[in-house]
Amino acid sequence: MAEVRLVNIGKTFEEGMQVVKNLNLTIQDKEFVVLVGPSGCGKTTILRMIAGLEDITTGELYIDQKKVNELDPSKRQIAMVFQNYALYPHMTAYQNMAFGLKIKKVPKAQIHEQVMRAAEILNIQDILQKKPGKMSGGQRQRIAIGRAIVRRPKVFLFDEPLSNLDAKLRGQMRIELAKLHKKLDATVVYVTHDQVEAMTLGDRVVVLNEGEIAQNASPMELYSNPGSKFVAEFIGSPKMNFIEGKILLLDGQLVFRNNELQFDLSSLNYQNLKNHIGQEVELGIRSEDIYPTASNLKNYVKVKGQIIAIELLGNEKLIYAELEESSLIAKVKAQHEAQIRSSIDFYLDLEKAYFFSKENGQRI
Amino acid sequence: MKRKKWLPYLFVAPYLLHLLVFVAFPVFFSLFLTFHKWNIISPVEYVGTSNYTRMFQDRMFWKAIWNTIQFLVIHIPLQLVISLALAEFLNQKIKLKGFYRAAFFLPVIVSGVVVTILWQQLLGFDTGLINRLLVMLGFGKVGWLINPDIAMGSIAVMATWKNVGLYVILFLVGLQTVPLTYYEAAEIEGASHWQKFRHITLPLINPTIFMVVILSTIGGFSLFIEPYIMTGGGPLNSTLSSVLYIYKQAFEYYHMGYSATLGFFFAFLILMVVVIQKKYIEKKD
Repeated sequence: MAEVRLVNIGKTFEEGMQVVKNLNLTIQDKEFVVLVGPSGCGKTTILRMIAGLEDITTGELYIDQKKVNELDPSKRQIAMVFQNYALYPHMTAYQNMAFGLKIKKVPKAQIHEQVMRAAEILNIQDILQKKPGKMSGGQRQRIAIGRAIVRRPKVFLFDEPLSNLDAKLRGQMRIELAKLHKKLDATVVYVTHDQVEAMTLGDRVVVLNEGEIAQNASPMELYSNPGSKFVAEFIGSPKMNFIEGKILLLDGQLVFRNNELQFDLSSLNYQNLKNHIGQEVELGIRSEDIYPTASNLKNYVKVKGQIIAIELLGNEKLIYAELEESSLIAKVKAQHEAQIRSSIDFYLDLEKAYFFSKENGQRI
Repeated sequence: MKRKKWLPYLFVAPYLLHLLVFVAFPVFFSLFLTFHKWNIISPVEYVGTSNYTRMFQDRMFWKAIWNTIQFLVIHIPLQLVISLALAEFLNQKIKLKGFYRAAFFLPVIVSGVVVTILWQQLLGFDTGLINRLLVMLGFGKVGWLINPDIAMGSIAVMATWKNVGLYVILFLVGLQTVPLTYYEAAEIEGASHWQKFRHITLPLINPTIFMVVILSTIGGFSLFIEPYIMTGGGPLNSTLSSVLYIYKQAFEYYHMGYSATLGFFFAFLILMVVVIQKKYIEKKD
């Protein structure tokens, strides 16, 4: 079946810039894998290497157990949806979708059948005679996906397909893409810089940083068990909060200390912290694990801050507060009374805290 | 405040002066001349529409127009194909791109007179470089500029060589407006080089093709320097272009009124051709 396997894949551009470093990744048949990361992390380059639009500098690429490093893009049985859709402006939607079959001299009746089948899946029968210039962004998006479906590929490649749409449409298309994946039952490799897209669409999410895999896991695992500060910061909105400090052994007790706070870690289940005594660390805590009251919390630490901004999200609100040396964003119930420029006490749920090494950003 | 009122006119004045003296005045004066007889020395004499009736009976003028059309029929397709091919070549990833660009463009900025004299040396019957080469290779000499059947063809090739660089630049601009992802999408679909060119490049650079055809038509109609210097319109008037004939009427025979008449008619003819071309080439979206 259509498994995509990258073995020690590396890419160095002519100018000597290494954008992908020794990447190993297996995408199972029918799996929806999202490559996510900040711009310049090499995600698009990886996708283009799978498509065959970019040469592979080192390593091997297998599609369906077959090595395809040197294989022409058209023979890899892949289809790609481009960020700007790449629809030919002088052709109608129908012609755009039929183009690949037409140049392969497939009989007209068969072309028609395949185009109509794709059109039906995407519910775009009524815009087939329109040219791209006369379509909305969402319609163009569907035609671009339709063109990919017509090819009956083993692997679908999506390069930031939703980034040109407005927020509302993006949400809609996200749901449609998820449905489509179920319907087509195909392998999908999807590139995005948007962590919400990654979390909602992917069976598995590969977080990339500077051409290397930072973490490769299910969305839930990434969120609740980030392997490094990079992943913890990248996944989740608002961003995870970080407080710098030092792990110390005082009177036989393991403590976290910085200039404004100090608390005991002994009662917590962080065995590895013992190996970091005397070292600089960062404590990470998500906004939803910061509370304005201590009720129901077993292990917590209290911090005092000054509110600098409040964002109402509906049933919740975000409170931006400054501590002496750091800042926090807390997500609290909308009913909670808070005033800008007033001081506030926060209770951090230490059972939900993460510790990262300051030196290399790795989780402790 | 008062000063500001006339200041804008001052800025426009140089151009306006130029327009009046070198464009508006000649146009109206030559229109005036088409109804008159004038040899520069004698006073202007009103002749009604006789210049026009004479024009329609003037076989030499129609031959000159026919010659010009023959020139265009060779020159425009040649220009189009060669400049597009060179632009495609320059649009690839090649080494020495800057050198080639400059080399192709060089003839455009060299004076037409210089280029013509250079080609005269190349195409000469006895001493021309091309004929010498042909003889060396065992072929016979060709009367590039002295055989009435091929002289206009030789001039068309030369004019193409002279102007092709300009159109290469225009096509390059056109080619570079086609997004790379169109070609990548086509590559994934399995399109060959030719298919990509035929189905993507050609339709998308249609406006550039139109512009090149129009510009080289207008440029071609005003063919003058080449036959003037190389052949003087000969042999047997086979390279007598319309503009050369108009020039001769004015400055060799001093038929200023008649020459102006021919000029007006010829301008009208060019306009008609361009309008027809526009209709056929420019596809509606």
